[in-house]
Amino acid sequence: MYDLFFTFRSVTYGQKGRDVLAQNGIRCRLLRAPREIAPGGCAYALALSERDGTRGRTILDRAGVRSTGSWLRLPDGGFSRLDL
Amino acid sequence: MIYLDNAATTLRKPPQVSDAVRKALRSCANPGRGGHAATVRAEECVYRTRTLAAECFGLEPEQVCFTGNATDALNIALRTFVKPGDRVVLSGLEHNAVTRTLTGLGAELVPVTAPLFDADRWLEAFSDALTPDSAVCVCLHASNVFGTILPVRQIGALCAERSIPFVVDASQSAGLLPVRPAEWKAAFVAMPGHKGLMGPQGTGLLLCREQPEPLRFGGTGSSSLDQNMPAELPDRVEAGTLNVPGIAGLGAALAWLRQQNPEELLRRERMLLAFALRGLRTMGVQTWSGPDQIGVLSFRLNNLDNEEAATRYANAGIALRAGLHCAPLAHRTGGTLPNGTVRLSLSVFTEQKELEGFLAVTKRLLK
Repeated sequence: MYDLFFTFRSVTYGQKGRDVLAQNGIRCRLLRAPREIAPGGCAYALALSERDGTRGRTILDRAGVRSTGSWLRLPDGGFSRLDL
Repeated sequence: MIYLDNAATTLRKPPQVSDAVRKALRSCANPGRGGHAATVRAEECVYRTRTLAAECFGLEPEQVCFTGNATDALNIALRTFVKPGDRVVLSGLEHNAVTRTLTGLGAELVPVTAPLFDADRWLEAFSDALTPDSAVCVCLHASNVFGTILPVRQIGALCAERSIPFVVDASQSAGLLPVRPAEWKAAFVAMPGHKGLMGPQGTGLLLCREQPEPLRFGGTGSSSLDQNMPAELPDRVEAGTLNVPGIAGLGAALAWLRQQNPEELLRRERMLLAFALRGLRTMGVQTWSGPDQIGVLSFRLNNLDNEEAATRYANAGIALRAGLHCAPLAHRTGGTLPNGTVRLSLSVFTEQKELEGFLAVTKRLLK
């Protein structure tokens, strides 16, 4: 289940992040970020499994793919900001 | 038609290019403007081309920005550094894409000149001109008039030593000579997609190693509540709808180029250039050539005005370009003002038999 989201202002960074994660064996989906996690309007998110979150963040940082935030989808459909 | 005007635009492209343009026209919507399948296809198409270009030029994908042409890219690069009154060092071979932009910005233009094909003298002249108060240095990689290759790596090193930003116009070299922004220590490298890169017209690239100032302002499909242009590349300089069919075609062209042997392409072009040069010299035609030259050759027929000569070539089915080639500064440096020259320019698809046809017509025109 894809319940962890890394957000990006630019689709290019989302695409680059998706490719970097895939190269490291982490499955994810690139999508338009839900409004709740895109306070600046119009953003993109990589959705992946929560268990890949910490490793995924490390991989993105190492590749210089700047995420604007990490979010966990809650059972009620809302989002909680994570400090990864 | 024998097409020898490839410095203006390459006319013959790999067939994959038009296939990709058609496919994108049919299937791609506006990238970054939604989450539906047609916009995702457009995003993936644009990203594929961006990634191919990044690999080709040794950069990260986000450092590759799409523009409408090299002129747009140069406008962005120069406007990033230049304020009215700034001293700008440039080669004496620059195109109006550089000189008009600098004039429009109110810069003080300091053209560097040297014998056309003497790389050491060019380097010395740049070294003398690059004073600490220079706002930026701009230099082409290869001349669109004379084919001269300038030592941009060494000029970039001089600029780096003196903390002067360096901008390179790779309009005539991209696709033929190695373009290495990092090795050249260039802040920006500008190029069209439709010449040596073999893409469609209406495409250009700005390779960024520094943060550019936007030329256009508007929607980017990102951070829409913020009324300032995004800080992130490439969005910062890509306001408005991208030319997705053109970018798709450029991607197909880059993929095709990647399958070629670049050294073989250059060797072949130089062999054809030498063939044309020998033929013209045998007939006593005035030519401009030297050791470091791409497949661009200026010449003059002694008995005809340049424009008249180009018209007669065109009537004989040969496409060349005459006049100043939008580069009066280059003609001043080369001593070919006010009438300019006739220019022959090659591409990877030019064949020797076409040059034989060109030489046969030249022989007739000289009578």
